Amino acid sequence: MPSRDVFLGVGSVALKRAAIPVAFTALCVVSLTVGVNRMSLVALASLSDEAWLTLTASRLPRLAALVLTGVGLATCGVILQHVVRNRFVEPATTGGMEAAKLGILVALSVAPASGALVRASLALGFCFAASLIYVALVGRLQVKNTILVPVIGLMYGSVLGAIAEFYAYSRNMLQSMQGWLIGDFSKIVEGNYEIVWLILPVVCAAYAFAHRFTLLGMGSDMATSLGISHRAMVALGLLLVSTTVAATVVAVGAVPFVGLVVPNVVALRQGDNLARTLPSVALGGASLVLVCDILGRLLIYPFEVPIGLTMGGVGGLLFLFLIVRQRR
Amino acid sequence: MRRRVSLLVAFVGIAALSIAFVLVGSGLDFAYIIPRRLTKLAAMIVGGIAVGLSSIVFQTIAGNRILTPAVMGYEAVYLLLQALLVLILGTSSLMVLGDYGNFLASILMMVAYSLVIHHWLFKGPQVDTGQPLLVGLVLTMVIGTFTQFVQLRISPGEFAIFQGFSLISFDRVEPVQLLWSTGLVTLVCLAGSRSLAVLDLMALGRDQALSLGVDYQRHARLLLGLIAVLVAVSTSLIGPTAFMGVFVANLAYACAKSERHRMTLPLGCLTAIGMFLIAQLSVEHVFNYRTTVGILINLACGAWFLVLTLRFRDIA
Repeated sequence: MPSRDVFLGVGSVALKRAAIPVAFTALCVVSLTVGVNRMSLVALASLSDEAWLTLTASRLPRLAALVLTGVGLATCGVILQHVVRNRFVEPATTGGMEAAKLGILVALSVAPASGALVRASLALGFCFAASLIYVALVGRLQVKNTILVPVIGLMYGSVLGAIAEFYAYSRNMLQSMQGWLIGDFSKIVEGNYEIVWLILPVVCAAYAFAHRFTLLGMGSDMATSLGISHRAMVALGLLLVSTTVAATVVAVGAVPFVGLVVPNVVALRQGDNLARTLPSVALGGASLVLVCDILGRLLIYPFEVPIGLTMGGVGGLLFLFLIVRQRR
Repeated sequence: MRRRVSLLVAFVGIAALSIAFVLVGSGLDFAYIIPRRLTKLAAMIVGGIAVGLSSIVFQTIAGNRILTPAVMGYEAVYLLLQALLVLILGTSSLMVLGDYGNFLASILMMVAYSLVIHHWLFKGPQVDTGQPLLVGLVLTMVIGTFTQFVQLRISPGEFAIFQGFSLISFDRVEPVQLLWSTGLVTLVCLAGSRSLAVLDLMALGRDQALSLGVDYQRHARLLLGLIAVLVAVSTSLIGPTAFMGVFVANLAYACAKSERHRMTLPLGCLTAIGMFLIAQLSVEHVFNYRTTVGILINLACGAWFLVLTLRFRDIA
């Protein structure tokens, strides 16, 4: 007969399991109610047109964009970490974000009137090409070193960024480029964010292939001997990552460190089996983005701090903590 | 003395570049164009000396040839401090030396920062050389983020204008500020000249230097303080130089064919000045102002640093 302690243990495990979804739901509700335009639940209940307009045209699209980018970027990070086999890589530390910016810049200068879809596809192309080059560069490294891989990624990103600056300045677009360098959700309203829904099929695909990505993380020899086409999986992984990054950068701009911090924290607790950890990673990413967005909306109310800054601060500090922890 | 020859060649090269920069296309207009260009040239020389000296001396103390003050976040800290001072004191002049209090406060904070960095990174168990680099890069990003946040607090509307300070430029140099900077760099050189021989010993490593009778702690502290002053001068005068220091220092080591600081330090300064001049000349005559000095230097030095890290084999 199981003792009372076992029941308590089961209870606390269930509590831990429920913690992330509960926190996530609470954050969603908070995110909906924070804003300059007062939107009380009473007004909603009394079917006030203004309150409902605020909700459907601004708050709900913003919430959807926040959740999708959070889920997408965290998933991206975990895929990239398995492809490159390094804990410290994510789109911001492999040049992916910078490449996507370069793609948008080219789209804007070649076809200024182009829609979000054209921009996203060019961003996707650039990001995919840049990621392939990065993976090839890292693969050719003489010494496999955990620290060197993200360092090279950061340098690679800053070179791509310098090329983007060079290109933007010569076409007199530098000022406008700096505007969307930094991720910002404040401009999200109904009608201009729909491109982020591209992330949904990507996340589904990531989940479908989760087992294969886990095997990919064990190295090319192991993956091949277990019957996986290593090259095809790497290409698929990078394609999924590029799609997410392109959609995010086009809709909201660069949001750094989500893909790095969340998978690392989850892996510390739950290990590396993607099929099991992906839900936690996805919800964790969405929660982190929500927290940073709410923070940004409240810090200098009624102005907003772009999420690129709040996430850069919070995520960067967490990243530093992870590096230092690894040293011990 | 072949060593002296390389120094002489570099010196003559810089002189020729400077003359070309001041005179070409000036129409010998002594009223406006030439004085303006001389101011820019002086800024390049003072900035170049500051970058060259601070990078090489920092590398000697760190015992690591891919680290510079800029990479370790010194410039980012300086810019953050300036933004904070503007936020707290509401000064209208941004990032301009000349105000005693401002400068003193900045220097003190920078020295404190460098002591923390030094203590944290180099006193612990010897780690691999890549780790401080990654910490430095991420730290620079994080501090830059905080700076942008402070700037946003100062004026959300003029946010984009503040961002202009994130690149090298010689156009915003003021004569008064130039005088201040020249004086400070001269003082630093005088204060540091006595440590010149000691630096060669410190390059052997902490333990070796100690066994040879060097008061390592005292000298390291003094030199870190001087580096902080130099970084403050160069950042306020010409803007953040990012990866330029690594490039300059390594080029100087390669040209000097000697480990002695008597050779590497002057060569480093000359290399930095030469880079500024070449970048400025190509902006004016090759790119026809379709790019800036900062963008060119970032691109060249960033690409070079990427290749350097890719070929770095002894990091393990």
